[in-house]
Amino acid sequence: MSMLSFERKYRVRGGTLVGGDLFDFWVGPFYVGFFGVTTLFFALSGTMMILWGAAMGPTWNPWQINIAPPDLSYGLRFAPMMEGGLWQLITVCAIGAFVSWALREVEICRKLGMGLHVPVAFGMAILAYVSLQVIRPVLMGAWGHAFPYGIYSHLDWVSNTAYQYLHFHYNPWHMIAASLFFATVLALSMHGGLVLSATNPGHGQAVKSPEHEDTFFRDLIGYSVGTLGIHRLGLFLALAGVWFGIVCIVVSGPFWTGAWPEWWSWWLNMPIWRS
Amino acid sequence: MKTSLRLLLAALVPAAAALLSGCERPPIETVQTGFRGTGMEQIYNPRTLLKQASLNQAPVATEAASADGPKAKDIYKNVQVLGDLSVAQFNRHMASITQWVAPDAGCAYCHNLENFAEDTKYTKVVARRMIQMTQRVNQDWKAHVAETGVTCYTCHRGNNIPANVWFAPKDRKYTTNSVMGDLAGQNLASKSVGLTSLPFDPFTPYLKDAAPIRVNGNTAMVLRGDAVNRSSTKQAEHTYSLMVHMSESLGVNCTYCHNTRNFASWEESRPQRVTAWHGIRMARDLNNDYMTPLTDTFPAHRLGPKGDVAKVNCTTCHQGAYKPLYGAAMAKDFPELQAVAKP
Amino acid sequence: MAEYQNLFTSVQPVGPLHDGVALPRGDDKRLGTPFLFHLLGRIGNAQIGPVYLGTLGVASLLFGTLAFNIIGFNMLASVDWSPIELIRQLFWLALEPPPPAFGLGIPPLAQGGWWLIVGFMLTVSILLWWTRTYRRARQLGLGTHVAWAYAAAIWLYLVCGLFRPIMMGSWSEAVPFGIFPHLDWVSALSLRYGNLFYNPFHALSIVFLYGSVLLFAMHGATILAVSRFGGEREIEQIVDRGTASERAALFWRWTMGFNATMESIHRWAWWFAVLCPLVGGVGILLTGTVVDNWYLWSVNHHVAPAYPLVSPTVLDPAILGAKP
Repeated sequence: MSMLSFERKYRVRGGTLVGGDLFDFWVGPFYVGFFGVTTLFFALSGTMMILWGAAMGPTWNPWQINIAPPDLSYGLRFAPMMEGGLWQLITVCAIGAFVSWALREVEICRKLGMGLHVPVAFGMAILAYVSLQVIRPVLMGAWGHAFPYGIYSHLDWVSNTAYQYLHFHYNPWHMIAASLFFATVLALSMHGGLVLSATNPGHGQAVKSPEHEDTFFRDLIGYSVGTLGIHRLGLFLALAGVWFGIVCIVVSGPFWTGAWPEWWSWWLNMPIWRS
Repeated sequence: MKTSLRLLLAALVPAAAALLSGCERPPIETVQTGFRGTGMEQIYNPRTLLKQASLNQAPVATEAASADGPKAKDIYKNVQVLGDLSVAQFNRHMASITQWVAPDAGCAYCHNLENFAEDTKYTKVVARRMIQMTQRVNQDWKAHVAETGVTCYTCHRGNNIPANVWFAPKDRKYTTNSVMGDLAGQNLASKSVGLTSLPFDPFTPYLKDAAPIRVNGNTAMVLRGDAVNRSSTKQAEHTYSLMVHMSESLGVNCTYCHNTRNFASWEESRPQRVTAWHGIRMARDLNNDYMTPLTDTFPAHRLGPKGDVAKVNCTTCHQGAYKPLYGAAMAKDFPELQAVAKP
Repeated sequence: MAEYQNLFTSVQPVGPLHDGVALPRGDDKRLGTPFLFHLLGRIGNAQIGPVYLGTLGVASLLFGTLAFNIIGFNMLASVDWSPIELIRQLFWLALEPPPPAFGLGIPPLAQGGWWLIVGFMLTVSILLWWTRTYRRARQLGLGTHVAWAYAAAIWLYLVCGLFRPIMMGSWSEAVPFGIFPHLDWVSALSLRYGNLFYNPFHALSIVFLYGSVLLFAMHGATILAVSRFGGEREIEQIVDRGTASERAALFWRWTMGFNATMESIHRWAWWFAVLCPLVGGVGILLTGTVVDNWYLWSVNHHVAPAYPLVSPTVLDPAILGAKP
């Protein structure tokens, strides 16, 4: 079996949300569960549809394959398969697969007696996907506003969607989200570096303690957030980054139709300094 | 409710209100301008559009006058343009100009009411040249204005001076002798470039002078020698500032003309980009051949802070509409404005 | 289920404050009496201070403050010395690099000279700070992993502000100091060089950026989820694996079929975070020096997708001999 040396004692029954003992087993290292079955179903169906779409398209080059949403003219209706309907079905499968994955994670957490932080965090990523592909298009009145499935084609969508607002960098929520993303990378490098520096202190040295970790950052910047705090901080920075990313795109279109630089006129025209 | 929570709400609610006050709401209108899923779309707030449409209405033209009878140049003195019109047509045109340019001041804006033939008022001299300019646009710039054409109203809209003209930007208070604080022509919040910090005068280099706008090369790799593409990143900022102006003037976004994955490619662009290309050249033509030569005709209070004459840019005609007056064809009712008169 | 999620510390035990692990003989004394900040203690450690100043630290702060002030005074000067306008237009203001005409020469102070001075001072400050991060680690008997991660960020900073402008033969290619202006630079670079999304190093850098966000969400959440077993005591768990590490590893193994260890996850973290600026810097360095148009590069390498045309054919009016 593909079990780790200590794994056997943890493989107990229980923790399931749906289905009881029916799917409460492992295949190799993978836990199945009811939601493992639904994940497989949605993921396989979606993948098959993507492959079928590629077969119907002009290329098998993985960089160029493109499954596009319907024209705006279809509004929120079902489109013919070759005119964006396939994209719609794939999107349904994607949401089904992602939600199934999250619920499967919940079952695994319950079985292991862990908190549910991981599936909740994943929920933010799912919210980002759903916001882009469902919430925003619904608010704007057409599925065609969502991004296409294709490695480079989805980047073309990003470029054009951003330039719809002339200079997307001036979107204040985008500025906050980008800052949080970069802060997350910074914090991750610092945390990874700190732990490794304490446990890999160099030739001939003894492994160091959390007091050394704290002392390093207090010496450096006067403050150390600590072993528990850094994980709260990292989770917060990452989720806040994604959250503001969601806000920045859902606002663009439904709640702001102009150029983003123009949004700043409220600041420039405040009564205290209106010239 | 705990005090700290109450305090938090007290801080958040007005903050949220402040942030949301700059916002609009669904439903919105969208127009697809490219292949599905590429994100090429125009977005409109229908409430804003409705208001703008009502502000950009063309006035109803008076009924065409009869071409019978003696010509204006034979009856009136000092008629240098429009002389081949009949007196009735000429008077109709004068009445229209008054409505388009000086509805409050009336004929006295240009004429000495004791002697209409006099050129004592500078406004009359300017107006004469402007009539020629209008004819030029309608005759020689069909690549931009097509058969819709323009009249004086297109720019003036009932104002003596069009609401959107441009001058060379004024010097700052502490300028030439300062060792600090060089703006380098940008880095201020400027309405001329849509409140970006891009270069705030895209008009002098591109709508008066003929500085190159293109910055992209035709090859993937950097070439050496003569073939090298010498455009700088800074130049791209200048081109960007012109493009922001054009977009804001027409109330459109970049995807109206371009597929932004490859801005430079004409094959991936829309036909509107060709129209815009001609519009840039037309603006240069009008600024250099009509406006700038009139600099000495205008009194000082009509000139800019550096003593230059008012000039045209895209906003002068378009005023936020993708076609001025949303494409209302005014010129068709004024055939005298559609051709430059033979000398 | 009103279960405590360990997101905020509800009870803060307060004991003697920690003056820090003893430093070797060569070092200075630490500065400041540590104090507690209760609100901070709800998230992480409540203790603030002491800090180690040291020669490197003081020098770094000196150069850095000088650079910051030069930027600030130039911004103030650019709005005619009005403090109100400084605040009002702060996000738009900048200290610009020299215009293209000066190439790599030393320009007049007013036209990019200050930018060069600031660039130099800021670089010195950053490198001094890097040396500080290295030295503080060594003095405490720690590995230098944090310093080398910081080096990756310095690499990107130097690429944007020094290496690439030198290779392009023009200081004007460098980034201005300013909030919106540096964002204009980002857009301008992409516009000039044929859409940076088509730069494969840029794409890879974004993979590591988003990947880092993903990883920290995963790792942070995982540790919080096993904090009831002492999961946040990572050093102890690395040296002597406890049930926290075991459950954390099994969670991921059962979810996605493989897992890290309490130590190796920090290697994943370090590499993802470091590769973002490292690869990104390579992508910027190649832009304009080797590749002039990334979209065309991608077409040549058969990765750019093709779309059906929906507009009538458009031809370049300049080539058609239309009226210039």
